Amino acid sequence: MPSPGTNGKSPLFYRLVLPLLVPALILVVWQVLSDKGFFRTSILPSPLVIAQTLQSLLASGELLGHLRTSLVRVFEGFAVGAILGTVLGTLMGLSRFWDRALSLVTGLLRPIPTIAWIPVLILWMGIDEGSKVTVIAVGSFWPVFMNVLQGVKGTDPKYLEVARVLEKNRWVVLSQVILPSALPSLFTGLRVGLGIAWASVVGAELIAASSGIGYMIMYAREVSQPDVMLVGVVTIGLTGLLMDFLVVQLEKRLFRWNQAAGEGSK
Amino acid sequence: MRDSRGSLHIQGVEKNFALPQGDLRVLAGIDLEVAAGEFIVLVGKSGCGKSTLLRLIGGLETPSRGEIRLGDKGIEGPGLERGMVFQEPRLFPWMTAWENIAFGLRAGTEAKEGEATVGKYLSLVGLSGFEGAYPHQISGGMQQRAALARALVSRPEVLLLDEPFGALDALTRIQMQLEILRIWKESKGTVILVTHDIDEAVFLGDRIAVMSDRPGTFRDILPVKLPRPRDRSSAPFVKIRRKIYNEFFHSTRKEG
Repeated sequence: MPSPGTNGKSPLFYRLVLPLLVPALILVVWQVLSDKGFFRTSILPSPLVIAQTLQSLLASGELLGHLRTSLVRVFEGFAVGAILGTVLGTLMGLSRFWDRALSLVTGLLRPIPTIAWIPVLILWMGIDEGSKVTVIAVGSFWPVFMNVLQGVKGTDPKYLEVARVLEKNRWVVLSQVILPSALPSLFTGLRVGLGIAWASVVGAELIAASSGIGYMIMYAREVSQPDVMLVGVVTIGLTGLLMDFLVVQLEKRLFRWNQAAGEGSK
Repeated sequence: MRDSRGSLHIQGVEKNFALPQGDLRVLAGIDLEVAAGEFIVLVGKSGCGKSTLLRLIGGLETPSRGEIRLGDKGIEGPGLERGMVFQEPRLFPWMTAWENIAFGLRAGTEAKEGEATVGKYLSLVGLSGFEGAYPHQISGGMQQRAALARALVSRPEVLLLDEPFGALDALTRIQMQLEILRIWKESKGTVILVTHDIDEAVFLGDRIAVMSDRPGTFRDILPVKLPRPRDRSSAPFVKIRRKIYNEFFHSTRKEG
């Protein structure tokens, strides 16, 4: 056991051991309390029971099947939301006309929670895949849109002046100055948007789904299988963590030039 | 001799900025004839309008009155024949030194020719070996060299320098002054440099335009007829420096 006295301040300790230590501790305490009968197993099964359920759901392929269905929905919805958010954010960021024309509409729609759209979308689109994907698209649209808009508008006027002095045309200014300078904002938007897309999959699968992680959780509640429910919940958490990790890695690779962030761009 | 290429004619230029409390007159009655290949320095306190005058020549602002011509062409907006270096390097952080310099190339430059030109100016400003570096990886002085190369690759007739060494330390600054002289001699273009450093002005300029403020006018235009390289401690150098110094501090004493 690593005692506080060992003082193991290696980077490995901070990067890997410490973050794992706290969840491990929670699991141990949870298991011990479950064994002593503190929790009713019909409400909160012990970690070991959940692990066994996870194993059997993995072995039967049931979990991966649900996961795949949900992932496909999320990526379809996210792709639509992110593309629309990027295009509309860029348009409004570049053109005062479109910014003015659409600002009231976007301002009005933005505070509406994604869940509030579900009944409306069922009415409009029925209960097929379309409405589920649309819910996810709406959820991921806003963070991408807002960040791109801010990024494009926030292009340093000093950079634009350089482009003017060098007689660059609109297309060069957009592709080589405005968009690269907005790229970090775009990535922040994509990262938050992907997180929201994944988090809203359960909401989307409230709509008469017959597969997917959200469906699995809902169905398990109906047939009183708390262990299956919790496997679903944990799977959502782990998948979200993995997605975020991948986006951050991609960001690091793309933005070598941005690594001195905070130094200011002169 | 190329007479009209690179010669600047500034006649009766006035510039007002519209402010809520009324127009602010920044420049008034500016007349200046700059011969092709001449090195002109504008000296003045901050806020005297010297940068505004440079931006007028650069085409980033338009005069409220009067006219500025380059050769026989009136200036309407920015153009590649007038290269500009700002106080900050203004390099794009997402481009390498090479890409930043290549950004200054005229649209439609052939790839091969462009590459040769960028390579030439990269080594002219002493950045060989740093072509792949991003701006945050090189020093402020090197960033300003890259900005200089970016302004030079399109071979401008006039180079406009807006306090380009202002943010550099004293030693780097002296070195950059030497290099700008070398580059000026090699390119044979016209240079207009804005500074508040009297020493820098006397060291570099063929003529020094001393500016007063509010509104900015030329108080005096002094020729500096000293051979280069100039010795900053020589008697004639010190004499001119003192003369400019007195332009600022004696007259203010009289006024106040």
